Amino acid sequence: MLRRILLTLASLGLAAGLAQAQTKPTLTIYTYSSFAGKYGPAKTIEERFEATCNCELTWVTAEDAGSLLGRLRLEGQNTKADAVVGLDMNLVAEAKALNLFAPHGAEVKDLSLPIAWKDDTFIPFDWGYYAFVYDANKLPNPPKSLKELVDNPNGPKVVLQDPRTSAPGLGLLLWMQQVYGEKAGEAWGRLKPRIVTFTKGWSEAYGLFLKGEADMVMSYTTSPAYHVVAEKKSNYKAAAFAEGHYLHVELAGMTRTTKEPELAKKFMAFILSEPFQSAIPETNWMYPAKTPAAGVPVAFKDLVQPEKALLFTPEEVQQNRRAFTDAWLNATAR
Amino acid sequence: MTTLKLPHPGSLAALAILGLVAGGFIALASFDGGAPPLPSIGPYLGRVLAFTVGQAALSTLLSLALGIGLALALARRSFPGRGVVLAALSTTMVMPTIVAVFAVFAVYGRSGWFAELLAFLGWKGSFSIFGYPGILIAHVFLNAPFVARITLDGLNQIPTEHWRLAAAFGFTPGQIFRHLDWPVLRAELPGIAGLIFLMCFKSFAIVLALGGGPSRSTLEVAIFEALKVDLDFGRVAWLALIQLAICLSLTTLMHWAFTRPPVGHTIRSLVRRPDAKNRRLMLVDAVVLAAGALFLAPLALSVLTGLRNIPDVVDADLLRAFGTSMTIAMAAAFIACVLAVALASAARRRRLVLRSPRMAALYDVLPDALLAMPPFALTAGLFLLIQRFGDPSAAGFILLPLINGLAAVPFTYRYVAPRLLTAEERYGRVAASLGLAGWSKFTIMDWPVLKRPLAAGFALAMALSFGDFGIIALFGGTELVTLPYLLYERLGAYRLDEASAVGLVIVLVAFLLSHLSGRWSDARD
Amino acid sequence: MLAIENCRLTWPDFVADYSLTVEAGSLCAVIGPSGGGKTTLLHMIAGFETPQSGRLTFNGQNLLPLEPAKRPVAIVFQDHNLFPHLTVTQNVGLGLRPSLRLTDQEKTLIESTLDAVGLKGFDTRRPGEMSGGQRQRVALARALVSGRPLILLDEPFSSLDPGLRRDMILLVDALRRRRAVTILMTIHTPEDAADVADRMAFIADGRVAASGPPAAILHGSLAPRIAAAVSNT
Repeated sequence: MLRRILLTLASLGLAAGLAQAQTKPTLTIYTYSSFAGKYGPAKTIEERFEATCNCELTWVTAEDAGSLLGRLRLEGQNTKADAVVGLDMNLVAEAKALNLFAPHGAEVKDLSLPIAWKDDTFIPFDWGYYAFVYDANKLPNPPKSLKELVDNPNGPKVVLQDPRTSAPGLGLLLWMQQVYGEKAGEAWGRLKPRIVTFTKGWSEAYGLFLKGEADMVMSYTTSPAYHVVAEKKSNYKAAAFAEGHYLHVELAGMTRTTKEPELAKKFMAFILSEPFQSAIPETNWMYPAKTPAAGVPVAFKDLVQPEKALLFTPEEVQQNRRAFTDAWLNATAR
Repeated sequence: MTTLKLPHPGSLAALAILGLVAGGFIALASFDGGAPPLPSIGPYLGRVLAFTVGQAALSTLLSLALGIGLALALARRSFPGRGVVLAALSTTMVMPTIVAVFAVFAVYGRSGWFAELLAFLGWKGSFSIFGYPGILIAHVFLNAPFVARITLDGLNQIPTEHWRLAAAFGFTPGQIFRHLDWPVLRAELPGIAGLIFLMCFKSFAIVLALGGGPSRSTLEVAIFEALKVDLDFGRVAWLALIQLAICLSLTTLMHWAFTRPPVGHTIRSLVRRPDAKNRRLMLVDAVVLAAGALFLAPLALSVLTGLRNIPDVVDADLLRAFGTSMTIAMAAAFIACVLAVALASAARRRRLVLRSPRMAALYDVLPDALLAMPPFALTAGLFLLIQRFGDPSAAGFILLPLINGLAAVPFTYRYVAPRLLTAEERYGRVAASLGLAGWSKFTIMDWPVLKRPLAAGFALAMALSFGDFGIIALFGGTELVTLPYLLYERLGAYRLDEASAVGLVIVLVAFLLSHLSGRWSDARD
Repeated sequence: MLAIENCRLTWPDFVADYSLTVEAGSLCAVIGPSGGGKTTLLHMIAGFETPQSGRLTFNGQNLLPLEPAKRPVAIVFQDHNLFPHLTVTQNVGLGLRPSLRLTDQEKTLIESTLDAVGLKGFDTRRPGEMSGGQRQRVALARALVSGRPLILLDEPFSSLDPGLRRDMILLVDALRRRRAVTILMTIHTPEDAADVADRMAFIADGRVAASGPPAAILHGSLAPRIAAAVSNT
C-alpha cells in the first residue's frame, strides 16, 4: 500500500516537473557566490524577472569574478551559461578574448555612472569606488589623500589584498599607478612599513580590519552603508582622497552560445530596468548603474562622493598588469 | 604453471590515479593547442620556491616536534577529559583556512587575547606576528594535533607483551623510548612528515594573510594567479608540474631514507606504560601538556566565539548545505577508502610477497601525488576531461566528491596500510597455506583487522571533505551549496559573525566525526 | 622455594585466590581450562598483577613489594617475546643489559646460551626471518642469560606442532637441570610434560584445585575435569 502511494506520488512529481520543464524555458545565469547568496540580490531579481518572462532563472556560481571567467574559459563553447552577471572592468579584455559573448542589443542610456558607457557587449549593472574604510572612533583624522596615506611615516596601518589574487587588490594597484605613474614602485616602498599584510581576498582583509588588526582597509566607498543599514553603526567611514578614487564597475553580458537568445536579450534589457536596479543597493552594497526613480537609499546619500573617477581602459589593464604587478612585487617583496 | 592473472586491483587504482593526474595535466597543458612554453624559473619563481620549501620544512619540523611530544605525554598519562582532547586533536586540521586565520588573530593579533593579557600585565610594547611567526603558529596549530593523533594511534599498536617485557627487564625511560616508541615513530614519521610538508607547501590563504608581504607567498599563489587572473592554463599546468615534482621527490626521498622497520604483532595495549611512574617524565609530560594546552586551547576556543551567532544561521539554507556537505563527504570518503585499500594491498604485496620495498615505497608515495597536485589544476584538468564525455553542468556533482575523495586518499592510506601489513605478517603464512587469495583473502584475513581503521579513515576523510572549500570556488552553485561555501558567501556579504557561526558548525561536525574516528580506531579488534 | 599463600586478586567478574608451593630447582607444570587463571598466576608472580592480600615469597624473599624488574623472575610469553627491529643477539642481550652496551664477556655468554638452545650461528638474524620454534628458543635463551633463578613460561610452545613442542619441553628440562633454575610453566596438553615435570598444578576458577606429582594429578579424581579442560581448548 505504502509502496503504491509512494509510486503515485513519485510519478505525479515527475509529471509535474516535466510539465513545468516543457512549458517554461530556463535561463541559466552565472554569477559570483555572494550575489546569489542569502543576502544577495539574486532572489529578488529572480522573482521580479520571472513575473514578467514566463521563464525560470537558474543561478550557477563561482567564488568571484576571476573564478567565473576561469570557469567560462574551461567550459568554452559547451557552457550552459545564457548570461553572466558579475565580471569587472579589469577582466573585460580577457572576457572578450574568449569569444563567448554576444552583443546585448539593449538600450544603454541615462546611466548614473561617472563615466560614459559605450560598450555593446557588456552592460554595467552596478558600480562603486574603491576606498579605504576606517573606524572613526579609533581614527579621528584619516588621511585626506592617497599621497598623505603613503607619505606619512606615522600614518595609519592598512590591510590590503594581494593584487595577484583579488579584485580590490588589483584595484589599489591600478589606483596607485594612476596617482603615481612611473613612481608607483617608490610609493609602494614608502607605504610598505605600514602595510599589515596582503590577504588572498577582500573577506580576509575586511575581517582583519573589523578584528582590529589595522586602522584602514582597502574596500569600497559603499561599505559604510552596510554598517549603517544592517548594523545601525555609523562609525565606519570611507576616507575621501583628493586625487580621486579608482572606479569599480560590475558588468553583465550574454553568451553567443545561448539556446534562448531572445530571453537572454530580454534579461539584458531587464538589468537596467527599475526592478533590477532597485534591488541592488541594499543587497549588493553598490550604487545602481541607473538610479531608480525613488533614488538611492538614505544611507547611500551620506557616502563619500569622490570628485574624480580614476580608471584605466580594459586594454591598458591587460597590457600593463604584468608590469605593474612586477613593480609592486619589487617594491614590496624585500 | 601459467595462469592468466588479472592485474591486482591496487595496480588498477594506481593506474587510474596516474591516469587522472596525467590526463588532467595534459588537458590543461594542451588547452590552447600545442605544448605551452616552459615557464622560466626566474628570480621571482626562484624566491617563491625557496620560501615555499623553507616555510613548509620549518612548519613540518615544529609540528612534528610538538605533535610527538604531545603523543608521548598523552600515551603516558590519563586524566579526565582525555577522550575529548583526543577527538579535538584531529579537528584542527580540517578547519577551513579562514577560520584558522581568524583564530590566530583572535589570540595573537594586535587586539587579540594575548595582547590583552600582556597589556593587563602592564607590558606596553607592541608586537607583530606577521611573517614567519604567524605562518608557523597557524601551521603548527593546524597540524601538530594531527601528528599527535596519528602517532598516538601508532603507539597504541605496541604489543602488550612488549610493555610487560620492558617492565620485567627494568627498561629505563630512555630504553623504552629506544626499543618501543622509536620503532613506531620511525615507521610513522616519513608518512606523517610527508603529509604535513605537502599541506604546508600548498598552504596559500594562510601564508598570504599571515605572511605580511608578497615576499612570503607560495607556489600555489602563482598557480592561483595563472589560473584565475592570467587565465593561462598552460602556465598552470607547468607550475603544477613543478609543485608535483618537488613534493614527490622530497616525499620519495623521505620514504627511502627511512625504510619501514619490521612491525611487531599488534594487540591493543591495555597495560600502563612502565615509564608512567618515572618522576622526571612526569615533569616533562606536565610541561609538554601544559605548553601544548596553552598554545592550542586558546586557538581552538576562539572558534567557539561563533556560538552566539548560531541562532542567526540555522535556517533552511544551512540545513540544505549541511545535507549537501554530508552527501558529498560520504561519497568522497567512500572513494578515498576504496582507493586506499586497493593501493595499500598492492604495496603490501610488493613489500612482503614480492620483496621489493622500493616498489612498495612508490605505492606509499603515490597517494601523496594527489595531495601535491594543486586542487585547482586537478579540478580544471578533470573538468576538461569530463567535458569530453558528458554534460558539463553535472561536472560539479561528479568532481566535488571525486576531488575531495582523491585528496583524502593519503590520509585514509595512513590508517589502512599499516594494518594491512600487520594482517599479512600475522596471518599471511596461514592464508598462503590455506590457499586464500583475492576476495576470500580480503574477507577472511584482512577485513577483521581492517574494518575499524577503515571506519576511522572513513570518518577522517569525511571530516576533511566537510571542511574543504578548494574546488567549490569554481564549481559551486545554488544547487551545490556546501557549508564552507555558505561560509564564504556570508563573508562576501559582510556577515562576518554569521560566517564564524558557520565555521563553528563545520568544526563541530569535524569534531564529532573525529570523535567517532577515534572511538573506532581505538576499539579492540 | 616459591611459596604462594592465599594470594587474592579480584575483578568485577573474576576472583582468584592462589596457594601453591614449588621446590627450588624443580619444574612445575600448570594445567587447567582456559580462562581459569593460569596466566594470571604467572603475571602475579612476575609482578604485572598485584594481589590485594596474601604472601608471595621466593627462597624466603618477599616478592610483593618489588617492581617486575627487581624480581628474581624471567618470563617467556606465548608470542610477542621479541622486538622485531633487533637482532637475535640484541634480543637476548636485553636480558642482561637493556642498554645493549654488552661486554665481550656478555657476548660470549649470549653466544654459548644460544648454542645451548640450539641456535648456534643465528646471532645476527632478526625475528621476522625465523620460525616460531626458533623465536621461542631465543626467548628462552634470554630468560636463561638473565641469570634469574625463577623462570615463568606462559604456554611457550602452544603454537608449535606436537613434535617440536615435545623437543622444546625436553630442552627446557635439560636446561633447568644444568642451570639449576626453578621453572613454572603453563601448558595446554598435560601429556607433553607428564614425564619431565616434578609437579603438576591444576588451576580452575582462579584456584589451585590440586597439585602433586603428575601421575597423581592426571590419574586421580580430577582426571575427568582435566580431560574435559584439554578437549575443550
